[in-house]
Amino acid sequence: MVANRSFNLGRLFIYGCLFAFALFYLAPLYVMLTTSFKDIEEIRSGNLLALPQDPTLYAWIKAWSSACTGSECQGLAPFFMNSVKIVVPAVIISTVIGALNGYVLSKWRFRGSDLMFGMLLFGCFIPFQVILLPMARLLAELGLANTVTGLVLVHVIYGVAFTTLFFRNFYVSVPTELVKAAQLDGASFFQIFRHIFLPVSLPIFTVTIIWQFTQIWNDFLFGVVYSGPGTQPITVALNNLVNTSMGGKEYNVDMAAAVIAALPTLLVYIFAGKYFVRGLTAGAVKG
Amino acid sequence: MGSLLIDNVTKSFGETDILKGINIDIQDGEFLILVGPSGCGKSTLMNIIAGLEEATSGTLELAGKDVTLASPKDRDIAMVFQSYALYPTMNVARNISFGLEMRKVPKEERDRIVNDVAKLLQIDHLLDRKPSQLSGGQRQRVAMGRALARSPRVFLFDEPLSNLDAKLRVEMRTEIKKLHKRLGTTIVYVTHDQIEAMTLADRIAVMKDGIVQQLGTPDEIYNNPANMFVAGFMGSPPMNFIEVDIKQGHAVVESAGETHHLKLPCADAIAAKGLDRVVLGIRPEMITEPKPAPEDQDWLHSMKLDFDVVEPMGADTMAIGQWNGIDVHSRLSPKAGMTAGTGTEVQVNTAKAVAFDIQTGERIC
Repeated sequence: MVANRSFNLGRLFIYGCLFAFALFYLAPLYVMLTTSFKDIEEIRSGNLLALPQDPTLYAWIKAWSSACTGSECQGLAPFFMNSVKIVVPAVIISTVIGALNGYVLSKWRFRGSDLMFGMLLFGCFIPFQVILLPMARLLAELGLANTVTGLVLVHVIYGVAFTTLFFRNFYVSVPTELVKAAQLDGASFFQIFRHIFLPVSLPIFTVTIIWQFTQIWNDFLFGVVYSGPGTQPITVALNNLVNTSMGGKEYNVDMAAAVIAALPTLLVYIFAGKYFVRGLTAGAVKG
Repeated sequence: MGSLLIDNVTKSFGETDILKGINIDIQDGEFLILVGPSGCGKSTLMNIIAGLEEATSGTLELAGKDVTLASPKDRDIAMVFQSYALYPTMNVARNISFGLEMRKVPKEERDRIVNDVAKLLQIDHLLDRKPSQLSGGQRQRVAMGRALARSPRVFLFDEPLSNLDAKLRVEMRTEIKKLHKRLGTTIVYVTHDQIEAMTLADRIAVMKDGIVQQLGTPDEIYNNPANMFVAGFMGSPPMNFIEVDIKQGHAVVESAGETHHLKLPCADAIAAKGLDRVVLGIRPEMITEPKPAPEDQDWLHSMKLDFDVVEPMGADTMAIGQWNGIDVHSRLSPKAGMTAGTGTEVQVNTAKAVAFDIQTGERIC
């Protein structure tokens, strides 16, 4: 009985702690959401933690379609689309290149392939700031400065190091004898990839896509440095929106805009998160 | 036609020579077994035959055609891997037909072949299953089915039975032998199990350190080993090796405190080399309880032997004693009712005894 009681107390303590931490981490989100549904009067007079008394979508509509980001006043909508135009191709291209790189570096070793993998790995550790100037020069030379294509290129180059690492480490655990067997069966380099490797790759594709999507969507530095007025991603627009003051500060609009900017990554994580965790541990225990 | 000529094939990784000039001429329909300890180069040789690795020098001819530089898919060779290497996401039927699919065989014909092969191997009820849903023996059959489906000129088996339990291994061994009888396709088979080698092979190539030590029929390998390595590798328990003095063409052996002079079939060769000390090689089954052996009458010696250990194995009883202070295994009939103890009367038959050079380990005679 005694053992049972202390066990229950211990459990209670653990759950209490977990609950408190959850509350602590969720508090900012709660404030953001409630604030975004309040009108400006209520924000000035009311309690920060109170629920909106008279919920309104005003702030959301304004943030989406008419808030000012600098001199333009079109809301976040066009910049949201910019981000989509940057993120989708960048994620797809970097993931595909990473998959092929990983396939080659794990199963088609060549002289110097380990060195090449080492150098690619090095790419994971280069801080963004270091490459700002050379990359700006390169984009200018290529005529891609201030374009969506340029930003896609930057994100692909920066992402390939990570995607290659993910895929290479995943494919290392696929038995090499499968490649030999398929070679004897007459399958070509791409046929082996298509028929043997792709069907087992769902977990690692999920991990890579979530990782790349989150990284690129949330990127601010490359976005602010390499974009032009018409090609800014949503993170840059959010910054401009919050920093543009015409009259009083509209906290509700800022909050709505921040939630809009964070929503896609949030949704991706909520819907694919379990695959993410599963994929990260996929190599550890064979399924 | 599936003859295979391996002509002076070498393989080096940097400074390390894995294969040092391999010459094997494999006849059409022959069952050749490569045996040797791990690291002897047998798997490398297999990969070179399959085209998965390139030989550093030498040539490879398949059915009279030079295929040294041909890619694996152009060689018409199928391989069964130790790990089976079944495609994990495909069901059994697709695993078997994948090679045909890659070679653009029409769908109907593929289905027909899959069915034939599955019937032959008795896996027709498993065609829809994934490899992970199969037992070890079933996986083994599917792996063989995949090789059979393409009806290649040559089959390569890379230690195909080593992942099976002992009982299944014996069953599959018999099955492979039947299959070979039935199909008559050339087979090159790697194993480190000398019982597999003895039972399956038409010819055995014993390899060590990248060199073929001996190439011959199981009978030749067993009874006429070229050197101490081959003699010690084949047979379980292995051949007894005892260093002995030679006096007047007889091997001097001390057993249970008495000295015996054993008559050797190759006294002349030893004398011709002027040696007075050699390694005597004698198989355990040549040291037995006293029993009639009329054809070897001249070669029988009776002596006393002190048995330290007696190991009944059912069909035989292995007993270990000492000659010249060295352990000697003998294979006795369980009927003889031997027990550990001193001064047991045994019969030694030296008709097939061999002698090796102490320095080189090469066979003298």
